[in-house]
Amino acid sequence: MREFALSADRLSVKRGGLLALRDVSFDVRAGEVFALLGGNGAGKSTTLLSFLGLLKPEAGEARVLGRPAHEDVTASRRQIAYLPEAATLYPHLSAEENIAYFLSLAGLRRDKTAISAALERVALQPAARTQRMERYSKGMRQKVAIALALLREAPILLLDEPTSGLDPIAIDDFNALIEDLARSGSTVLMVTHDVYGACQVASRIGLLRAGELVGVFDAPVGGRIDTDAVHAAFAGRTAA
Amino acid sequence: MRKVLLVAADEWRFWRRSRLAMLALGLLLLLVAASATLTALRMSSEAQARSQLQTDAEETYRSQPDRHPHRMVHYGHYVFRTPPPLAMIDPGVDPVTGQSIFLEGHRQNAAMFADAKAGATAGQMADMSPAAVLSLFAPLLLIAMGYSVMTREREAGTLGPLLAQGLSPLTLVAGKWLALASVAGLTLLPLMLTAAAAISKGESISATAVFAGSYGLYLLVWCTLVVAVSSLATRRAGALTILVVVWILLALIIPRFAANVAASAAPAQGKIEADFEVLSELRSMGDGHNAADPAFEQLKTNLLLQYGVASIEDLPVNFRGVVAQTAEADLTAVLNRFAEERMATEIHQVSLLRSFGWISPTLALREASMTSAGTGVEAHHKFLRDAEAVRFDFVQGLNRVHAEQLAYADDINRSSDPEAERRTRVSSENWKALEDFDFVPPPSGARVEGALTPLGKLGAWFALLFGLVLLSARGLKP
Amino acid sequence: MSLVLRLFRELRFLLRQRAVAGLLVLAMLLSALSVTTGLAEIAHQRMTLERMILADKADRDGALAKAEDWGSAAYSSFHLTYLPPSDLAFAAMGQRDASPWKHRIHMLALEGQIHAADTANPELALAGRIDFAFIVSVLAPLLVILLLHDLRAGERAAGRHDLLIATAGQSGRLWPIRASALIATLAVCLLLPFWVGAALAGTQLAKVLAVSLLVCIHLLFWAAVSYWAGARAAAGSVILTGLIGFWLLLTAILPAITRVSIERAISIPAGGDIVLTQREAVNDAWDLPKNVTMEAFGARHPEWENYTQVSRPFEWKWYYAFQQVGDQTAEALSTTYREGIRERDQAAALAAFSSPPALVDRALQGLAGTDTRAALAYDASVRDFHTRLRTWYYPKLFRDEPFEPAALSALPVYQPRDERD
Repeated sequence: MREFALSADRLSVKRGGLLALRDVSFDVRAGEVFALLGGNGAGKSTTLLSFLGLLKPEAGEARVLGRPAHEDVTASRRQIAYLPEAATLYPHLSAEENIAYFLSLAGLRRDKTAISAALERVALQPAARTQRMERYSKGMRQKVAIALALLREAPILLLDEPTSGLDPIAIDDFNALIEDLARSGSTVLMVTHDVYGACQVASRIGLLRAGELVGVFDAPVGGRIDTDAVHAAFAGRTAA
Repeated sequence: MRKVLLVAADEWRFWRRSRLAMLALGLLLLLVAASATLTALRMSSEAQARSQLQTDAEETYRSQPDRHPHRMVHYGHYVFRTPPPLAMIDPGVDPVTGQSIFLEGHRQNAAMFADAKAGATAGQMADMSPAAVLSLFAPLLLIAMGYSVMTREREAGTLGPLLAQGLSPLTLVAGKWLALASVAGLTLLPLMLTAAAAISKGESISATAVFAGSYGLYLLVWCTLVVAVSSLATRRAGALTILVVVWILLALIIPRFAANVAASAAPAQGKIEADFEVLSELRSMGDGHNAADPAFEQLKTNLLLQYGVASIEDLPVNFRGVVAQTAEADLTAVLNRFAEERMATEIHQVSLLRSFGWISPTLALREASMTSAGTGVEAHHKFLRDAEAVRFDFVQGLNRVHAEQLAYADDINRSSDPEAERRTRVSSENWKALEDFDFVPPPSGARVEGALTPLGKLGAWFALLFGLVLLSARGLKP
Repeated sequence: MSLVLRLFRELRFLLRQRAVAGLLVLAMLLSALSVTTGLAEIAHQRMTLERMILADKADRDGALAKAEDWGSAAYSSFHLTYLPPSDLAFAAMGQRDASPWKHRIHMLALEGQIHAADTANPELALAGRIDFAFIVSVLAPLLVILLLHDLRAGERAAGRHDLLIATAGQSGRLWPIRASALIATLAVCLLLPFWVGAALAGTQLAKVLAVSLLVCIHLLFWAAVSYWAGARAAAGSVILTGLIGFWLLLTAILPAITRVSIERAISIPAGGDIVLTQREAVNDAWDLPKNVTMEAFGARHPEWENYTQVSRPFEWKWYYAFQQVGDQTAEALSTTYREGIRERDQAAALAAFSSPPALVDRALQGLAGTDTRAALAYDASVRDFHTRLRTWYYPKLFRDEPFEPAALSALPVYQPRDERD
């Protein structure tokens, strides 16, 4: 049997006493960019938190590299770099200090050049790197968080609304970065409510609605997913 | 104004729906009510018990059998300090000073048997008089209920829409302040009831008004402080942490720190050590028991001259009694000088302590409260002076009897001649001259006047913080 | 990464937060303040004692030089008794503010002398003082609460919580380490000034260790409570309000309730009654037939029964006999009074288990020898000494030994308990 990087197997998760995910199943292959699309409260973030083992499934399993995420959380989290929604790092530290601190939390050590290279890759202005993050704009904070995720050098990336708050140029840069990562073998699971952004980078899209997976779209070989179809499905005009 | 009330009513709706706020309010009201009831019961039973003890002491003294008057000088008498009516709320120094003084000839005794010495030690915060609850813990309630009045609106993003509705920042802040002030008013209810009871027990209305007013002003200071911090802080957690730290400093640390400073800046000699000096000064004077003491030579010459007689046996008065009178007066002058010095040192220390009231409203309130209630150090000093006046009067009254009713010949022979001894016993009727003692604190006028300075301190705090609130309201941004 | 390294990493990180650093500096400052004022107060007390010991000796020598017989020597010579501050008293003043720790007594009835209070300024006594015991028992819990309450809630509110956990691998690798780093630093901030103070005061190492252990245990208790409360998924401010309410309950409300209940349950005779009884007995003796007094005296001192004839109107042995009888009359009351205080203290010791702050305060007073037990022990030592005085003078008075001023140099000398041990 072929091993998937991430797989949700009849996953049901409760949050605040209510079922936030109901019987959701999908697999993400290694080196694939999978986007989960859905409106507010559809269960997107819940899915990510389940793979991180931060939420325990009510039924079913969220598996990381074939093993249930909550079984050995430390081991599964080691395989994952996570980019939270509206990522706020510590405002009293600079970008470099934040990155160094979080890396050491993960038990990793990267030298200065590696950190500089990562910040270069996300196009953070060099002047800002040593400034305290309390002065950063939302887009700059997001870039630092992405750089942190890159530096984890984890095989799997979980991204929660990665492009929210970024300007159009930064979004283009980001999309290029994701494609780059996928080419070098990383697995990306991102959640978003941005139909067009998802269609641009994802090889597959899962559509979540009210905690249920209502459809999966595949990209044709060498092409992109049909945006109109996804949009129509998202708006609820057709069932996929 | 209607809008202010509307904002206040809205805040109350928030509190009513917050379990934590209601729990805190209920708990503190219960605490104030319980401590007011317990303290009122305890202090009024103390007042009753002590005035009973006073009457008993007077009766015992007056019912002594016929005796040599000097024996009664040594027999002595007791006076008790009955607590004033407002001690039901603020017992003040009552638990740390003795409540009774033994009065006798040739000595000024200290007040003995303070409650604090015989009490159960249960940590450093076990004082729960209504005064302590209101001055220390009511501010905590105001903090717990009020830290979020403005920050909550800011965090929830409702501040912008509210202001966009055309509500002026000042109205909003005033409404929040009013809501918090009404909480303060609620916690003062038990105090008002007890204060009314104090008036019915004979406390003056003006002193009671100043007393209650100082608590009101104190809590308003805290309301204003809480609203100011809440409108300046950006986050709820930040506002609460700041307020708690401010409370720790103002209510817990500064008053104690002030006491440390006062004690070390103006060190007072203990009574035992001061007594060395008193003793050496007294030894240089004549012993009133010994009429032959050379110190009384001058007195003797003057008396002989005054009455135109040749020897003390011919004097129409008992020379020994005259000596006793003179010696007691001289000795009392010395003792009083030391006592006044000691009290002056204490007043100096206390004024140092109280000057910290400018930086701690809690200390200012304590001063206003004890001064207007008549339970502070001034009232205790008045008790000491009143007691000394009683002591001097009864001892000199006896010495007068000694001088006027006893024959000198009998007096000097009484240890060897039983008949002479019998004649030196004077009628117990003389003991009836003892005056009734009923301790009353300084007059209400003086107490009200004394409370003006600390009220000024509280007023300054209020004005300063009020200005801060106005300023923060003007610069209020979502 | 080793645990120690992780601890240091978190510490470095936490210290860069202004609020945390501010609280820790505040803790250190207050602790230093308490230790400094405590040391100054103790130095003041020791100097006072030194002065008084000299003045006492000079005064006694002067009085004895003028004495004409044994009786007047005993009457006019006073003896200083005192409880010197221990090497730890600077950290916990305890009962030294409320109970007397020095007296000057002579051979008259003791009950009339031993209750005299060396009054301190009552308004200062009421305000209390900042001693190390106050910092540790009352303030330290508040600092722990302020430092730990939003350990998680703060990160949750800032949106970092999930990222932190996902990065650290498991929550056990983060929160306990942060909490430990904070508490350990707080402990050092509180204890460092104390250690310096103890070194200056020459405190016994065992006591220093005991105090340090006590402080750590107390901090751990409040850390555990705050950690537990901080794990709730509530807002930081709600957790803080709850914790401060709990602090109020344990620090003020429960102790106040136990104190009032203990004082109601265990009543003690009014102190004034002891002195009144004793005085009445002494005063009445002047009017009583002398043999009544001497018989009452002989009942307690059978060894002097054969020497109790009084022929002259005034004899010193009769005078001191009725002084002793005065004490005997008040003995029952006085014993009940002291027993009552002892019982109240024992009950309070038991009740203190309901309030860690009260327990810590009492324990510190116990170690510093400034608790009620030490005050009672001092009281007992004064009584012992007074008995020694009587035992020394009685043979001379009752056997009517000729007065020998030289013999007075062999008078008993008061030895404070501490130095005798």
